[in-house]
Amino acid sequence: MKNKLFIFFIIGICIYLIDIGLNSNEDKNIYISDQEILSLVNAWKSQVGREPTDDEISRIINNLVQEEILYREALSLGLEREDKIIKRRLAQKITFLKQESILKDFSQKEITDFYNANRDKYYVPDLYTFTHKFFSSTSNSKERAQNHLNNSNRSYEGSDPFFLGKNFAETSSLEINSNFGSNFSLYLKNSPINQWIGPYKSSFGHHNLYITEYTPGFHPNLDDIYDQVMVDLNQLKRDSAISDFIKEVGSEYSVIINPDLKI
Amino acid sequence: MNFKSKKLLYLLFLLPVLYVAQLLIIDIDVNKKRPILNIFKLMQDDSALEIVDFSVDKKTVNSNLPKPNKDRNPYYGDLHVHTKYSFDAYVFGITASPDDAYRYAKGDGILHPLGYEMKLREPLDFYSVTDHGFYMGMIQAFADTTTDISKKDFAKPFHDLNRKDNLTVESAGERSDLFSSIIGAVIAEPHPNWHPSMIKAWLTKNTQQALKSFDYDIHKSAWADIARSANEHNDPGKFTTFIGYEFTTSTDIEGGNLHRNVIFNSSEASIRPWTRIDSLNPEDLWTWQDSLREKGIDTVSIPHNSNGSNGQMFEMESFLGRAIDQGYSDKRMRNEPLVEVTQVKGTSETHPLLSPDDDWADFEIMDVRVGSRPPTYSRPSGGYVREAYLNGLTLEFTQQGNPYKFGLIGSTDTHTGAGAFDEFNYWSKVGLLDGDAENRGSVPLAPENRERLEEYMAAFNQPQSTITLEQGDYANTGFTQWGASGLAVVWAEENTRDSIFKAFKRKETFATTGSRIAVRFFGGFNLSSIDLNSDNLVSESYEKGVTMGGDLISDGDKTPEFIVWAQKDKNGASLQRVQIIKGWMDTTSGRPSEKVYDVACSDGLDVDPVTHRCPDNGARVNITDCSISQNVGSSELKTLWRDPEFKSSDKSFYYVRVLENPTCRWSTWDAIKRGFKPREDLHDTIQERAWSSPIWYIPDPSDVVVVPLGGTVPIRNSN
Repeated sequence: MKNKLFIFFIIGICIYLIDIGLNSNEDKNIYISDQEILSLVNAWKSQVGREPTDDEISRIINNLVQEEILYREALSLGLEREDKIIKRRLAQKITFLKQESILKDFSQKEITDFYNANRDKYYVPDLYTFTHKFFSSTSNSKERAQNHLNNSNRSYEGSDPFFLGKNFAETSSLEINSNFGSNFSLYLKNSPINQWIGPYKSSFGHHNLYITEYTPGFHPNLDDIYDQVMVDLNQLKRDSAISDFIKEVGSEYSVIINPDLKI
Repeated sequence: MNFKSKKLLYLLFLLPVLYVAQLLIIDIDVNKKRPILNIFKLMQDDSALEIVDFSVDKKTVNSNLPKPNKDRNPYYGDLHVHTKYSFDAYVFGITASPDDAYRYAKGDGILHPLGYEMKLREPLDFYSVTDHGFYMGMIQAFADTTTDISKKDFAKPFHDLNRKDNLTVESAGERSDLFSSIIGAVIAEPHPNWHPSMIKAWLTKNTQQALKSFDYDIHKSAWADIARSANEHNDPGKFTTFIGYEFTTSTDIEGGNLHRNVIFNSSEASIRPWTRIDSLNPEDLWTWQDSLREKGIDTVSIPHNSNGSNGQMFEMESFLGRAIDQGYSDKRMRNEPLVEVTQVKGTSETHPLLSPDDDWADFEIMDVRVGSRPPTYSRPSGGYVREAYLNGLTLEFTQQGNPYKFGLIGSTDTHTGAGAFDEFNYWSKVGLLDGDAENRGSVPLAPENRERLEEYMAAFNQPQSTITLEQGDYANTGFTQWGASGLAVVWAEENTRDSIFKAFKRKETFATTGSRIAVRFFGGFNLSSIDLNSDNLVSESYEKGVTMGGDLISDGDKTPEFIVWAQKDKNGASLQRVQIIKGWMDTTSGRPSEKVYDVACSDGLDVDPVTHRCPDNGARVNITDCSISQNVGSSELKTLWRDPEFKSSDKSFYYVRVLENPTCRWSTWDAIKRGFKPREDLHDTIQERAWSSPIWYIPDPSDVVVVPLGGTVPIRNSN
C-alpha cells in the first residue's frame, strides 16, 4: 500500500517537472520589429503632423503589447478552436493570399495556348448593314410585304415604321436576334447583297430586307486582343487558384462522415 | 510660490483637462455624430474621399464601334445585384463572385446554391454588382459575440440592424445561428477611446475603424475586387458595367428602410464605400457624393424598396425631422435622379389605399417593412412613387422645392448574382432560403419540412410561419409577396458607360417588371403635326418635344400633346393597353389629384371617351397549364394623346404605364409544374408592365429650377 502511494508520488513529481520543463520552453518573449514600430509612428505622424512624444510612442507600443498578450493567452486557452468566425476568416485570408500570389507574368507559350484553347471566344462575328421595310402584324402583314417585294419599281410606300428604326449598321447576329427575335439572323446568313429579300416573319410582323454590306467574321490575331486575353487569363488563374490549391493539398486529408446519418 | 512654478502648476492642471476634452470630442463625434468645432475638423482627413483608379488596361479589337444612334436605343439592365461579398448573401449559401454575376449577365449559366443552373433567355446590355457597403467582404470579424452589447451606448445606433434586409431566415438552423452571430459582430463594441484605432478612426473620418470587429484591409480588398471585376467586364459598344454598392441605411426608431444603390460613372472610385457606419443620414451620403463630384467622380444614388420604408422614403420632412427646403430638394435631386420602382421585394408605384380609383394599383404589393422581425406592417403613405410625385408638387407649392422629381427604373436585388426576371423560371433572391417552391410558399410543405421551418422561424422571431389552406400547409414567411421583377431600361445613343449614365441623369429611363417591353414617350405643343406613320416619327418628336424625364414648359394656354409608342417583348405576351397617369396640383385649392387614362387599346379597340377605359380585349389565361389566348393583343401600340381635362395653371406630371395581357404569376407556374393547384389566397395571374419616367408640365417658365446635373439636363421649350 505504502509502495503504491510512493509510486503515485513519484509520478506526480515527474508530471510536475515535465510541466515546468515544458512551460519554461514556451516562448514568453514578445518581439516587436523596428519596422512595425516605425510604420505605426509614421502613420501617426502623417495624420497628426508632428513627431509623437515619448509618452505617445510608449502608448502606441503598449497597445501593441497588450493586444499580443491577450492574443497569446486566448490561443493558450484554445479559444480559436471551433470558432466559426475565426474559421471563416482564416479560410478567407488564405483565399485572398492564394489569389494574390498568382504570377502576373505568363510565358508566351502559356498565353498562346490559352488563346488557342479559347479562340472562339474572341471570334469577331459577321456584321450586316441593312435596311428593311416593316409590315405590322395588325393588318395582313404578309400580303403587304409580298406586294412590296413584287412591286418592281420599289416606289411602294405601304410599310409601317418599325419601333427600332429602319437602318441597322454593322449589326451582329446576336443584336439582330435581340431586336427582331431569336433566329431572325438566320434569314440574313448567306443572303444576296443589294437586293430585296423576304418576307420574313418576326413577332412584330413581316420584314423585307435589303442588305448593303456584309463583313464576314474572323479570328483576330493574338496581338490585336492581347490585353483582353491577359485579363481573361488572369481571371481564369484567380478562379482556379483555390480549387488547384485544394486539389494539391486535399489528397493529404481523409474525410470521415457517419455513414448511417439520415438527412 | 513664485510665478514660474505657478505657471507650471497651471500647465499640469491644463494637460489632463485638454486630454479629457479631446476624448470628449472624439466621443461625441464618433459615437453620436454631432457637429464639433471646426478647428478640430481641420485635423481630419476624409478617407472616403480618397480616389483610386481601378481601371484595367484593355484595347478593343473592334475599334469601329457601331455609330451612336441619335434617336437612341433601348438598353436593358440590372443595377441591383448582390454577390458573396454581401454579408447576408454569403451566409445564405451564395458563393457567386462579381465575375460570376457579370458572366451571367452576358449570357453564361451560373449555379444556384441549390445546384441548378440559372441562365438568361437573352443577355442584358448593362449590369452593376451592388453589394452592401457596410461590412462589405467581411463575412465575419473579431467580435466577441458573447458580450451583452445591448447595454453599451455605442451599440444603440446599430440596433436597427436587426431589422436589416433579408433577416427572413427560414431554412437550415445552422444558417440562422450563423446569421445571428453576424448581427452580433456588427453590433460589436468599439475600441476604448484611448486606443490608436479610435484616434485613427476619428482622424480619417472612418468610424468603421473604431470597431473591434472591423478589418479595413479586408474591406478595401473586397471593394477593389468588385471594382476590378466591373472594369474587366466592361466592353464598350456591347456590354456596360458600373462600379456600385448599396448604402444600406434605415431610420433609427421604426426601422424604415432607406436603402440606396450608389452607381459610379468611371473606372475610378473612392477607396472605400461610404456606409451606414459613416452615417445613417442619407443627406450625408449626398454630401459625400457632392464632394466626389468636385473631384471629378460622378455618381447617382437610387433608392429602392420605398414600399418597405414604413412611409419614410418620401417623407415631407428630412431625416432629422427638419422642414424640407430648396437646398434639400436641390441636393436630393442632384444626387438621386432615379428611383427603383419595382424589384423582387414588391413594386412601389402605388398602393390600393393611396390610389383607390386605379384598378391596376393592386400589383405585387409587399406590405411589410424590409427585414422586420417579427414582420411588421409598413405604412403605405410615404412609400410609393406616385404619391411622392404629388407630394413633390405640394412641396413646390409651399416654396420648399421639389425633392421628388425623379425618373423610374426597375432592378432585381438578387442575392445570388443572377436576377430572376421570368415568372416561369423563378428562383426569388436569397439562395437557400427561397430557392425552392416549398420554402417560398407556392406548394404545400412536406410534414418534416413544415416542422423544421416552424422550429427555425420561431427561433427567428416569426411566431406564425405556416398557413393551412385547401391543399395543405404552406410556408407563409413573406416570400409569397415577392416576385420576378424588374429591369432598368435607358434610352441612350450607344451602349457605353458614359452614354448610359447620361441617360440616368437626364432620367430618360423606364422600368419594367422583367419583361422587355419598350416604350417611347414625348410631350410637346405641336406634336400633332407629326405623322405617326412616318419613318421620322422619333427624330421629329425629339425635335419638337421633350421626352421622358424632361420638363415641358407652358406655351401660353396651349394644351400639351403626347406621343406614346410601346412595343411588346418579342418573347412575351402581347400588349393589352397603354395608359397615361396624370397627377396635378390644383392651384386654387392647393389639393393634389391623380387620374389614370387609357390612351391606346389593343386590337384596334377604342377608348371610351367618358370612362377613359379600353373595352375588354378578351385575352384569358388557362390556369391549369398557363397557356394564353393567341392572336389577342397588339405587338405595338402607338397614339397621339391630348389631355382632355387640362388646366394651364396647374403644375402636373404625366407618365406612361404599358400593360401586357395577363399571364401566370410565378407562384402559379411553381404549383402547376409540381402538380398542384395555385394557392387560393394569391393572385393567379399578373399583368407584366412598364412605367416611363414622367414628363413634368411647368405652367410658369420662371418656376423652373434648373438643377445642374453635370450639364446633361436640357430644358427645352417646344417652340
